[in-house]
Amino acid sequence: MLQCIFLLSDSGEVMLEKQLTGHRVDRSICAWFWEQILTQGDSLKLVPVIASPTHYLFQVVREGITFLACTQVEMPPLMAIEFLCRVADVLTDYLDGLNEDLIKDNFVIVYELLDEMIDNGFPLTTEPNILREMIAPPNLVSKVLSVVTGNTSNMSNRLPGATSSCIPWRKTDLKHASNEVYVDLVEEMDATINRDGILVKCEIYGEVQVNSHLSGLPDLTLSFANPSILNDVRFHPCVRLRPWESSQILSFVPPDGQFKLMSYRVKKLKNTPIYVKPQLTSDSGTCRVSVLVGIRNDPGKSIDSITVQFQLPSCVVSSDLSSNCGSVNVLADKTCLWTIGRIPKDKAPSMSGTLVLETGVRRLNVFPTFQVGFRTMGVALSGLKIDTLDLKNLPSRPYKGFRALTRAGEFQVRS
Amino acid sequence: MLTQFGATAESLSKASTMVFRIGTDAHLYDDPDDANIAPLLDSKFDTEKCEALKRLLALIAQGFDVSTYFPQVVKNVASQSLEVKKLVYLYLLHYAEKRPNETLLSINYFQKDLGDPNPLVRAWALRTMAGIRLHVIAPLVLVAVGKCARDPSVYVRKCAATALPKLHDLRLDEHMDAIEELIGILLKDNSPSVVGAAAAAFASICPNNFSMIGRNYRRLCETVPDVEEWSQIVLIGILLRYVIAKHGLVVESLMLVSNALMKHNSEKEGLEPHNEINKPHNGTRFDLCTEIADIVSRSYLQGPDKYLSQLGLVNRESLGLDYSHATSAKSNDDVKILLQCTSPLLWSSNSAVVLAAAGIHWIMAPKEDIRKIVKPLLFLLRSSYSSKYVVLCNIQVFAKAMPYLFSPYFEDFFINCSDSYQLKTLKLEILSSIATDSSISSILLEFQDYIRDPDRKFAADTAAAIGLCAKRLPNVANTCLEGLLFLALSDSSNKDDASLGEEEIVLVQIIKSIKAIIKQDPPNHEKVIVHLLRSLDSIYAPAARAMVIWMMGEYCNIGGLIPKMIPTVFKYIARHFTSEAVESKLQIINACVKVLLRAKGEDVSELRITVGYVLALAKCDMNYDVRDRARVLKNFLSHCRGLHDSEYVEDQTDFKDLTRVLSEYIFGGQAEISSEPFSYRFYLPGSLSQIVLHAAPGYEPLPEPCSLVGDGFDPSVRGTSSLGVRTTDSEPNDVDTDATSGSMDEENTSDYDSEDSVSGSSTDGGHYTDNVSDRNGDEEAGALIHLSDSAPTSRNHLEASEGLPSSGLMDFGELMSKRALESWLNENPGSSQTSSDAGHVQRSLARLSIKDIGQLVKPKSYILLDPANGNGLGVDYRFLSKVSNISPELVVLDVAFRNSSTGTMSNIMLSEEDVNLDSSDKSVSPSESSNVTREVPSLVPMEEISCLEPGQTENRTIQVRFEHHLLPLKLALWCNDKKQLVKFRPDIGYFIKPLPMDIESFTKKESQLPGMFEYVRRCTFTDHIGPLNDSNGESPVKDIFLMICEKLTLKMLTNANLFLVSVDLPVAATLNDTSGLCLRLSGEILGRSIPCLVTLTLKGICSEPLEVSVKMNCEETVFGLNLLNRIVNFLAEPTP
Repeated sequence: MLQCIFLLSDSGEVMLEKQLTGHRVDRSICAWFWEQILTQGDSLKLVPVIASPTHYLFQVVREGITFLACTQVEMPPLMAIEFLCRVADVLTDYLDGLNEDLIKDNFVIVYELLDEMIDNGFPLTTEPNILREMIAPPNLVSKVLSVVTGNTSNMSNRLPGATSSCIPWRKTDLKHASNEVYVDLVEEMDATINRDGILVKCEIYGEVQVNSHLSGLPDLTLSFANPSILNDVRFHPCVRLRPWESSQILSFVPPDGQFKLMSYRVKKLKNTPIYVKPQLTSDSGTCRVSVLVGIRNDPGKSIDSITVQFQLPSCVVSSDLSSNCGSVNVLADKTCLWTIGRIPKDKAPSMSGTLVLETGVRRLNVFPTFQVGFRTMGVALSGLKIDTLDLKNLPSRPYKGFRALTRAGEFQVRS
Repeated sequence: MLTQFGATAESLSKASTMVFRIGTDAHLYDDPDDANIAPLLDSKFDTEKCEALKRLLALIAQGFDVSTYFPQVVKNVASQSLEVKKLVYLYLLHYAEKRPNETLLSINYFQKDLGDPNPLVRAWALRTMAGIRLHVIAPLVLVAVGKCARDPSVYVRKCAATALPKLHDLRLDEHMDAIEELIGILLKDNSPSVVGAAAAAFASICPNNFSMIGRNYRRLCETVPDVEEWSQIVLIGILLRYVIAKHGLVVESLMLVSNALMKHNSEKEGLEPHNEINKPHNGTRFDLCTEIADIVSRSYLQGPDKYLSQLGLVNRESLGLDYSHATSAKSNDDVKILLQCTSPLLWSSNSAVVLAAAGIHWIMAPKEDIRKIVKPLLFLLRSSYSSKYVVLCNIQVFAKAMPYLFSPYFEDFFINCSDSYQLKTLKLEILSSIATDSSISSILLEFQDYIRDPDRKFAADTAAAIGLCAKRLPNVANTCLEGLLFLALSDSSNKDDASLGEEEIVLVQIIKSIKAIIKQDPPNHEKVIVHLLRSLDSIYAPAARAMVIWMMGEYCNIGGLIPKMIPTVFKYIARHFTSEAVESKLQIINACVKVLLRAKGEDVSELRITVGYVLALAKCDMNYDVRDRARVLKNFLSHCRGLHDSEYVEDQTDFKDLTRVLSEYIFGGQAEISSEPFSYRFYLPGSLSQIVLHAAPGYEPLPEPCSLVGDGFDPSVRGTSSLGVRTTDSEPNDVDTDATSGSMDEENTSDYDSEDSVSGSSTDGGHYTDNVSDRNGDEEAGALIHLSDSAPTSRNHLEASEGLPSSGLMDFGELMSKRALESWLNENPGSSQTSSDAGHVQRSLARLSIKDIGQLVKPKSYILLDPANGNGLGVDYRFLSKVSNISPELVVLDVAFRNSSTGTMSNIMLSEEDVNLDSSDKSVSPSESSNVTREVPSLVPMEEISCLEPGQTENRTIQVRFEHHLLPLKLALWCNDKKQLVKFRPDIGYFIKPLPMDIESFTKKESQLPGMFEYVRRCTFTDHIGPLNDSNGESPVKDIFLMICEKLTLKMLTNANLFLVSVDLPVAATLNDTSGLCLRLSGEILGRSIPCLVTLTLKGICSEPLEVSVKMNCEETVFGLNLLNRIVNFLAEPTP
C-alpha cells in the first residue's frame, strides 16, 4: 500500500507531503528522484514506475505537477497510478485548474482532500460527488464570505448520505428547480496515415458525457440506434451491466452534475474528414516542404480549429515556411505550428517553404510526423446515434438535450 | 529614483496577484511563520485556532519540524468546530509517533467522539485514533474498532475495517485473534463497501486464512460487482488465491494446457516433445507458445526465482505440475461463479480493475474463453499515459505466451509519434511476437516507416524487431532480408559526418539482424552476403564492418559465388588493414585463418600470401590484443599449414593431431549454438514485481494448488500465513531474519497456548484440592482468611455499594474527564469526587485480609524451546517473583533445561544476541526504546551448563532486562556449540514487584491518582464455577465467598507479582450475591518505584460467571494500561 504522497512543482520543489502509514518516507526521496530526472533527462519523466534504492515510486505528471507516491511492498501498480490520476482529476476540479500557485494557495483543501481520499495507503473515498459534499470546493462566493466574515470553514459537518446508500455516487435528497439532463457525445479521432498516404489505422475514441440536474432518484435508460458498431466499452459504476449484456441498453441512476457515463471505441473507420499531404524533397543541403490540406469527406458540419504541427528534424538549421491561409509559427523547440482555423471556400490551404540543413548533410534521412488537429461540432464521426433517453421516477417532465462533438485525437500523418 | 520605481512596480504586481488570491490560504503558505503561532493556538476563537493550525500545516507541507507545538495543538482536540478538529487530526497523525506521551492526552477525546451522534465525527475519531499507531493504546483502539464494526453507519463500519491494518502494523501478536475475528465480522457485512474495506484488511493482515473466505465465498463473489472499485482489485485477488488453494488449477486453462500438450506430444512423438516451439507451423499448433506458457504458469505458482533456480538442477519433466491437483471450469461451481462475477469488471472505468479481472481470467479461464480479456486490455491503452506503460508490460507477457490472442489486433500496437521510447520498444516487442503470416506484410510496412523515425535508437530497435519477425516467420525471411539490405546500403550511401554517431547504431543493428537471419539458413542467403561484401567499402561503422567480416570468414565456402570472391575481398581488406578499428582488425585476423583453413585448390597459395601480410601487419599493431591474437594464430597456422600442404597423411605427431582437432573445434564447426535460454521473469499479472522485474517485498506467488484441505482450519496454512505476513511487513533488508524468527515465534505461541492449559489444570487444580482438604483438616491452624474488622455492616449499606461497580461501568471517556485532563496539565492533581465516593463505600464494608496465600502461588511456565526443534533439548522458563539484586530493572527468570534426547549435551548457555539484530528490533519501536537506558545489559551472564545427561533436568536462574514490556527479547541459546535464536516473551505481570502497604495508605495513594491515571476494564471470571459444582452446594455459605476470593487471588498472584492489600467481603443479604466483594492489590514498577494499584470489584451471582471490574491506578499510563489489559486477559481466560 502507498506510504507517502508528494506533490512536486515543475522545478522539483516539494510542495506538499502527506504521510499515509507508520513507515515514514523521508522527503530526501524527492531529491533523489529529481536528481534522476535531471541526469537522465525527460525520458524518465515518462516512466510511471521507478525502483529507487529504497522505495518504489509511482509518478503521474499533470500540467507540470508531479504526483509522486512511494511504497516499499508489492501492490498493484495500476492501482497507484489510477489513484494518483484520480487525485489529479479531483484537484483540477476543485481548484479549477492545476498549477503550482493553485496548489499552494489551497494547500489546506488539498490536505483535507487527500485525507479523505486515502487512509492508511488504501483509497477511501474517491467518488467526486461525495467528496464535494464533505469538503466544499472553494468558489468566489465562499472566498469573499471568508474575507468578510472571517469564517473559513469549508468542512461539512454532516456525513454525506450517499456514503451509506447503495448508490454512493448520488446524493439521496436532491432538489432542482429545473429538471434537465444533457447528453454529449464527445469523440476523438485517432488516425495514422503512412508515408504512402495510406490510411493505416483510423478509429474513434468516444465518451458519452452526461450532465444531469434531476431531482429525486431518477432512473434513466439510454439506447443507441446502432450499438453494434461499438468495439469496446467501459462504464461508469452507475451503469447496470445486465441490461447492457442482454440488449445493449444503458440503464442507470445518474450522479448529479457532469460525469462520464461510458467510453467506447469504434474501430476500422474507412475515412477521415480532412486530408493532409506533406511532401519533403531534399537535395544538396536544402529541403523543400509543401503541405496540402483539404476536405476529403464532408461531414456535413463545418470543420474548424484545424492545425498542423510537426517537429523539424534536428539537422535543420533554419526554416523559411509560409502559407496561403492561416499562420505559421516555428517555436523554440523546433516545433512548427501551422494554424489554419477554418478552410476557406475559395482556396485549398497549402504551406510551403524550404529548410536549410546542417553543413555536411546533403539529404534528409529522417522524416517528421505531422500531427493534425481539428474539431467539428454537431456530428459524431463514428456514426453512433442516440436513439432514446427514457427517464423514470421523475416528478415533472425534464428537459433533455443532446450534442455531439468530434475532434482530432492522435491524428498523424507520416512523411 | 529608478530603484524606487522598480520596487513599487514589483509591489504593484504583487498586489495584483494578491487580488486573485484573496480568500485562499496563500498567505499562510507563503509566510507561515510571520505570526506568533503559540498564542493563536491558545486563542478563544476558532478562526484564530484555524489560522494557527493552517500555518502549522503549511510548515509541515514545506518540510519543517513543528512538533514543538504538540501540547498546545493537542489541547485543541476538544474543540467543537469540525474544521479545527480536522486540522488537529491532520497535525496529530503527522507527529503522533514522535510524541507518544503527549498524544495519549488526546485519547479520551477520541473516546468521547466515538460516542458522538454524528457518524462523521465517530469515523474521524476512529481513523485518527488508529492512525496514531502507539502500542500503548492498541488495546483501546481494538475495543473502539470492535464497537465501530457494529456501528449503524456504513461509513463508520468501513473506517473500522480500514483501521484494522493500522492495528496489525503494530505487530500485536496477542491481539491477532481478535483482529481476525473482527475481519470475519466485517466480511459478513451487508454493505458492499464495508465488505470491500474488510477485504483490503484481510489481504494485508491474514491473506492465507482461507477458511474465513471459504465460509463466505459465494456471497463474496456475488458482491464483487457492487464493491468499490479499489476493493474490487484486492477482493478478486483474494478469491483467486482461495479457489486455487481449494480446488487447484483449471484443466482447460493456460496454466495446465501447456502441460497437457507437452505430455500429449511426448507420448505421441516420443523423441521431440518441444518441436513446435521454434518452428510454429500451420493451424492450431501455432496458437500457443507452449514453452513460455509453461514457464509462465510455473513462475506464477512458485515465483520465478525459485523456479529458475530449480531449472538448472532438475530435469524438466520431473517438475511437471501435478495433474491431479486440478479442477475443471465446466464442472466446478466455485470457479464458474468467480469467472462469471469478475467478467463484468472488464468493463470497469478503472484500469486497475480491468487489469486485475483480466489477470483472473488469464489464470483461471478455459483457454477458449481467455479471448474475452483481449479487447478490454487493448482499450486500456487509450487511458492515461502512465497506465499505458503498465498495461503494455502485462500484455507483453500475455502476447508471448499466447500470441494468437493478440495477433488479430496488431494495429493497436502501431506506434504513435507521441509515445515515449519505453512504450515504443514495448510495442515493437509485442508486434514482433504476435506477427503472423497474414499480418506480417502490414507490420513490415509499418516498420519501414519506423526506420525513418527521428528517434534513431527506436529505428535501431525496429531493425532488431524485423530480425525477430524473420526468425519467427521463415516465409518472410527473404523479404525482411531484402528490406534490411536495402536499408543498410542506402543508409551508408548517405554518409554524412554529422549524423554518423546516431546512424551507426542503426546500421549496426541492421547488420546484426541480417546476420541473425542468415544464420537460420546460410546457403539460401548467399547473395545477401555477396551484396554486403561488395558494399563493404560503404559500411563504415566498425562494429558493422566487423560483423560483415565475420560473416565472410564463417560462410567462406558456402555456395558458388563467395569462394570466388574471397581472394579479391581479402586483398582489399589487407590493403585497408591499418586503417581499421581494433574491433574489425580482430575479426579480420580470425577470418584470415578460417578462410585459409577452408580454402581449397589454387587459391590457397594466393591467400597464404595475403594472410601472411595481414599477420605481419598485425604483429606490429599498436593494440596488444591484436598483436597477441596475431601471434597465437600465426603459430597455430604454422602447424595447420602442414596438413593442407601434404596430399597424403604423413606420420602425424600427437601435437599436430591435437592442433587439427583444435582447429576444427574453433573454426571448422558450424557449432550449433543452442537457442538462447529464456531469460524472462514472470510475475503475477498486474503486480508491481512484473513491472520492475524482481520480486518486490511482499510479493507472493499463487498458493499451492489444493493446499487447503476441506473447509476446515488448516494449521499448516496458518503457519505459512503468519510467515507471509511478516515478510510483507518487514523492511526489504531484514526479510530473512524476520521470516525465520517469525516462524519460530509462531511455534512458540502455539506451544505456549497448549502448555498454558496443561499446566493450568495440573498445578492450579491440584493445589486447589490440596487446599480444600487442608482447610477441612485443620481449620483452626492455617486459616487463610480472617475477619480483620469487627464492625459488621448493615444491610442498607449494601445498596450503597452498588455505586462502585456502576462507576466501573462508566466509559473511559467519562472517567478521563476534561477536568482531569486540565488538572493534569496544571500539574495539580487534586482529589476527585469519584475516589472519595469510593472511600465512603469501602468504609461501609466488612474487610478481610488474606495471608500466606503466596505459598500456594505457582508461576506459570512457558516453553522457550521445544525438544522437537532443539534436537531434544527442551527449555522452559518461569517468571520468578524475586527481585534482582543486581539492578532493579532486571526481571528474574527460572529456566529449566531438560535433555529429552538420547545423547549427552554440553556447553548449554544463553547469551545476548548479536547487536545488529538487536538494533533492527529496536527500530520497530523507536518510540519505546528511547526511554530505556542502555547501561544495563539485557542478560546477566548465566552460569554455563557444561554437561546435561539424557533425561536430566537442570535449573538456572537468570536475570534479563526486556527492552519493552510488550516486545519479546531475542537471545541466543548455545548448545553443543550450535546457536539457536530463542525469544523470551515478556509477561508484564512480572515487571512489577509487590509493594507492601496497608489499606489506609492504599486508599490515600488511590485518591492521589484520579482521572488520567485511572482506568477501568471489565471481564468475566468463571474459575470458581467448576469447584462450586463439584461441591454440590453442600458447603457453607461463607465458604463460597472465601473460595471465590481465594480463586481470584490465586489467579492474580499466579500471573502478576502483586501484593494483596485487602479483601472486602460483603456480609451479604442474599446469600449468593457477590456484589461488594472487593480485592485490592498493589505493586511497584521494577526499577522506577512507581506504584500500581489494582482494585477488583465483583458483581453477580456466585454460581454464575462473575463480572469483575478491574481498576488500575498508575502514574505511568502506558504501563498501567498494558498491565490492566494483561490482568483482564488472564482473568477472563478460564482455568479448566
